[in-house]
Amino acid sequence: MSRSSGFTVFARKEAQEIWRTWRRWVLPGILVFFAVTGPPLARYTPQIVQAVAGDQLSGLEIPTPTYLDAYGQWAQNLTQIALFALIIIYGGLVSAERRSGTAVLVLTKPVSRSAFVVVKAVVNAAFVATLLLVGTLLTWGLTAAMFDTAPGAALWSAALVWLVLAIQFVAVMTLLSVLISSAAGAAGAGLGVYVLASIAAIWQPLADYTPAGLASKAVAAAAGQDPAVAWPVVTSLALSVGLVALAATAFRRREL
Amino acid sequence: MSAPAAIRTTTLTKVYGDTRALDGVDLTVPEGSIFGFLGPNGAGKTTMLRLITGLAQPTSGTAEVLGRDVAQAGNLVRAEVGFLPDVPGFYDWMTAEDFLRFAGSLFGLRRNLLDQRVAMLLDLAGLTGVTSRVGGFSRGMKQRLGVAQALVNAPRLLLLDEPTSALDPMGRKDLLEMIASLRGRTTVFFSTHILGDVERVCDAVAILDHGRVVAQAPIAELTAAYGERKVVVEVTDGADELAALLAARPWAASVVRGPNGSIEVTVTDAVAAQHDIPAIVAGQGIGLARLEAGEMGLEEVFVELVGGERR
Repeated sequence: MSRSSGFTVFARKEAQEIWRTWRRWVLPGILVFFAVTGPPLARYTPQIVQAVAGDQLSGLEIPTPTYLDAYGQWAQNLTQIALFALIIIYGGLVSAERRSGTAVLVLTKPVSRSAFVVVKAVVNAAFVATLLLVGTLLTWGLTAAMFDTAPGAALWSAALVWLVLAIQFVAVMTLLSVLISSAAGAAGAGLGVYVLASIAAIWQPLADYTPAGLASKAVAAAAGQDPAVAWPVVTSLALSVGLVALAATAFRRREL
Repeated sequence: MSAPAAIRTTTLTKVYGDTRALDGVDLTVPEGSIFGFLGPNGAGKTTMLRLITGLAQPTSGTAEVLGRDVAQAGNLVRAEVGFLPDVPGFYDWMTAEDFLRFAGSLFGLRRNLLDQRVAMLLDLAGLTGVTSRVGGFSRGMKQRLGVAQALVNAPRLLLLDEPTSALDPMGRKDLLEMIASLRGRTTVFFSTHILGDVERVCDAVAILDHGRVVAQAPIAELTAAYGERKVVVEVTDGADELAALLAARPWAASVVRGPNGSIEVTVTDAVAAQHDIPAIVAGQGIGLARLEAGEMGLEEVFVELVGGERR
């Protein structure tokens, strides 16, 4: 039994679990909803505001929406609601298997505890990347349909920056779900990390050189700006690797 | 050089806070044996299995499985072991066949062998043709699937934690027959508090109480050793008076009336009892119909060893 085959078999199980349980619907449903509704909402915002507010805003000039508004809406939804959903969904990524007893049956077979943790982080990061790809393609296509023009650079730059942020939070939740037995407790701690990162990003040096700045840079990229993302991206990827390694080490020491 | 052992623990100790769940356990399970690990609830049986499987780490002492230190060996040991926990947890979204295929694949079984083994184990578990998800299974069905998955790699060592506890009488009988059929091919180590199961299939037994092994021997040896401490007396008449006289002797630990007017005496000094009893009977002027060493069953040995301290 090679180490890689245990890794592959467990990774296949993890992917099947996504496909055959509620995980197949929740995060995809949220992303597809925002992808499908974002561009029409951006396109018809002036008409919607007009219809709702009537003459009350007669003096207010609402700028004509552009494709960048649709991109901005997608990026905002990703950095807020989609990220919150991800944090909540992955609160029990590891602890759910400990509580249900499935981890005991798997880990008394030739699967190392490190592989158990790493597979979960990798497969779920890949799942999020796939969802992002589908959602961004939908947003791109609908934006082109609504605005007749949809240059891809800003949208895909924003999506890639958000992907780095999402992978980082998958890693954060992997660690928290090893350390905290309760899924709700781990999700609460994850939301706390998100809030702290948002506060930290107010200080410009942290926003420019650490993962704290990723959310704002994703939104800026979607708005057609060209933010400097190298430092936040590199430090975030390094942090993600470190967090998963820490999770694996902590899990090896845990009693099951 | 010591005999090959499937499991060998040396002063194995596990402490949780103020509780010593295991206290310096020295245990040797011979390879090829069917070994019963007996103990009342809370004695430390499940803790022992968690240490042997590497699910928990000992506070001190060592555990070797198939000649390898559990703490160091990792996948090398796990590849040759099958394990059924006391309450097996399955992925509710899988079917029984899905889980057996998943478990077999983790051991690296090739496609053809996996197909054969899954079909055979589904049959053994009485789950052939059951296509519903495990989430809808009864406790007994899950237990049977648990046994099947523990056998998927044809293990050298099969570890079972209370395997019959959730089974109906037929399921229990089938499982015990299956365990007996593994004799000589696979070492089976199973924890239980059901003495009848151990008596039916085990070659040897260890009795655990309050985290300590209080007895460890082949079953026949254990019952014989304790049988020597029991004397059965049958007299022609006056049994009540004789029982009262015997109870007053310093070597009499307990005196109870047995079937057909016999008297069963648990003794602390068998030689002294065998000398004294005929003299006491003669002194009473009654006839001695029978005087012999009694046989103690495993249940009586178990009660003798752990019963006195039960609260």
